[in-house]
Amino acid sequence: MDYLYDGSFDGLLTCIYHHYYQEPASGIFQLEYYQPTLMVSSSVVLTDPDLANRVYQAIEQKISADALARIYHVYLSSSSDKENLVLNYLRLGFKMGSKADLCHSHPDVYPVHKLDRQVTLETHRLLGLLRFKDTGKFLYGVMSPDHHILTLIADHFADRLAGERWIIHDQKRRLAIIYDGQERNNDKLLIQHKWYMTDFSYSMDDYTTREEHHWQQLWQLYFQQISIESRYNPRLQSHFVPYRYRRHLLEFKGASWGHS
Amino acid sequence: MDILTQLDILAGAAKYDVSCSSSGVTRKNQGGTGNTRSFGICHAWSADGRCISLLKILLSNDCVYDCRYCVNRRSSDIPRASFSPRELADLTMQFYRRNYIEGLFLSAAVEKSPDYTMEKILRVLTLLREEYEFQGYIHVKVIPGAEPSLINRAGLLCDRMSVNVEQPTENSLRLLAPQKSLPTMYASMQQLKDKIQEHKVDHRRFRHTPRFVPGGQSTQMIVGASQDSDLTILHTTQALYQNFGLKRVYFSAYVPVNQDSNLPALTTVPPLLREHRLYQSDWLLRHYHFKAEEILDADHANLETEIDPKTAWALRHPEFFPLEINRASYEELLRIPGIGPKSAWRITSQRRVAAISADHFKKLGVVFKRAQYFVTCKGIYPGNKPYDPAAIRRVMLPESPFKQMTLF
Repeated sequence: MDYLYDGSFDGLLTCIYHHYYQEPASGIFQLEYYQPTLMVSSSVVLTDPDLANRVYQAIEQKISADALARIYHVYLSSSSDKENLVLNYLRLGFKMGSKADLCHSHPDVYPVHKLDRQVTLETHRLLGLLRFKDTGKFLYGVMSPDHHILTLIADHFADRLAGERWIIHDQKRRLAIIYDGQERNNDKLLIQHKWYMTDFSYSMDDYTTREEHHWQQLWQLYFQQISIESRYNPRLQSHFVPYRYRRHLLEFKGASWGHS
Repeated sequence: MDILTQLDILAGAAKYDVSCSSSGVTRKNQGGTGNTRSFGICHAWSADGRCISLLKILLSNDCVYDCRYCVNRRSSDIPRASFSPRELADLTMQFYRRNYIEGLFLSAAVEKSPDYTMEKILRVLTLLREEYEFQGYIHVKVIPGAEPSLINRAGLLCDRMSVNVEQPTENSLRLLAPQKSLPTMYASMQQLKDKIQEHKVDHRRFRHTPRFVPGGQSTQMIVGASQDSDLTILHTTQALYQNFGLKRVYFSAYVPVNQDSNLPALTTVPPLLREHRLYQSDWLLRHYHFKAEEILDADHANLETEIDPKTAWALRHPEFFPLEINRASYEELLRIPGIGPKSAWRITSQRRVAAISADHFKKLGVVFKRAQYFVTCKGIYPGNKPYDPAAIRRVMLPESPFKQMTLF
């Protein structure tokens, strides 16, 4: 039986529940992208938060909190086969407990660890590679990451730029995180607003105020000045900043490619 | 002078400093702007492939010293500029909130006197930390010879401090930087070490003890400006780690900027490969439990350029290998070329549940190309060449792109 879910994390966990308590799953797929075949029957799973929560608790208690974080990262990855990787990994995990993670080269464990590493790496990368611009009312940063890491970087910026209002826009997925700042009275923090995620397909790429242009120019100049000409090494640079990230990076825009 | 010109001159003058790391301190935002993360965050990589984490800049490049290797030496004919503390603080804040940088790396040429310069640095720190409530990372260069009380005050406001020893021996230093001396610099390092220790002990007893240079201290050495061997450099490096508890020793391949009889010619290419091999050795010292005496000895006073220092060590010690991967201790695993701390950890943890065979290597993160000659898996030697150091060395050498053609 192929289980089809709605694309939410809870939906995925509900499928895992049905795998154990109804009929074993031959595969889990996202409803939107499912290709029916003649050999296997399929059923659409309705997301049930209560069932999902039971699976959630079970993973945490019977495998480990690390395993839970790991499958969440895999769920956020852009791998087309991620649901089945999670299923296989959890099947082993419920059998072996926390020891499953010690089998680094096991065919059910290795791909999950690998995807987890990729998502973690990209999250870490974008903490640095995101650029904000000041629109006068709020800070606006745009990115097009490989994986759906928007929620993973939000807490970092909510802490770092707590006093600002900002939007981080994932152009690829047409989503954004909006943070509305904090309210203060006589230097005492009144309310700490949490960030929230919303659909967003508005583009702010061309809007640059005059003051913003000044700081951007300074940054581009600094970027050029700090490089040592006799150590010129574009290969090393592209190892750290792959070309796909450069579209949104100010320092790679226009004439500022590499050395002048 | 407008800020564009100032930035142009003072960033260009700071670029030969190597350190740019923003690691070692975790601090949450306490009602200002910024935080720090212990893993450090790089924000950009310039065209030479070096990371940009901190805004690396000089407060001024107007120097009274005349160090021969330095761009900013008194006798060099270059445009001079300096920032006012507020200009620099504003620049830092504006760059920081746009997420261009992780913080500030503030250094300065010795303007008028060491004390005068250190006081000016202190003004920037106070402005940023107190008025702007900036809580990002700050790395400050200690101006050698400055009043200890000034250094102590700066240490309470910044995350990392560094004293650059520049040369591994007093002799080379005298030749290249006549106004600097190792004993003065060691005194500053000792002072930092003692203060860090003192605050750590106090912090355990009194929760509100302010933190003093929580990110520790680092230093930098120029490679290739003097005649010192790699052995001398590594010995000094090891001594620095042991005596002063440094977090990092950075190496900087000498880029010729001045014409001088004591220095290599202006046309010299920076010894980048040598610098790379020194960094590899530095990693062996810090993460692989090697001793400087093991990496090099009197007969091998310089690192080989073709082969990395760990493989070179392994080839000189055939009696140590091959090691059985399922039985070797963590320490022994670290000695195998192609295995690092992470893969060694994965091997020791997987061994608890299942034996390891050679086809697991890739998934465990082991570089099979190198490791195959130095291990056995369940008693089987996986290498495609017999265990003979000379033969292994031949396959390990990089292929030369140029071959001598025979005439006949």
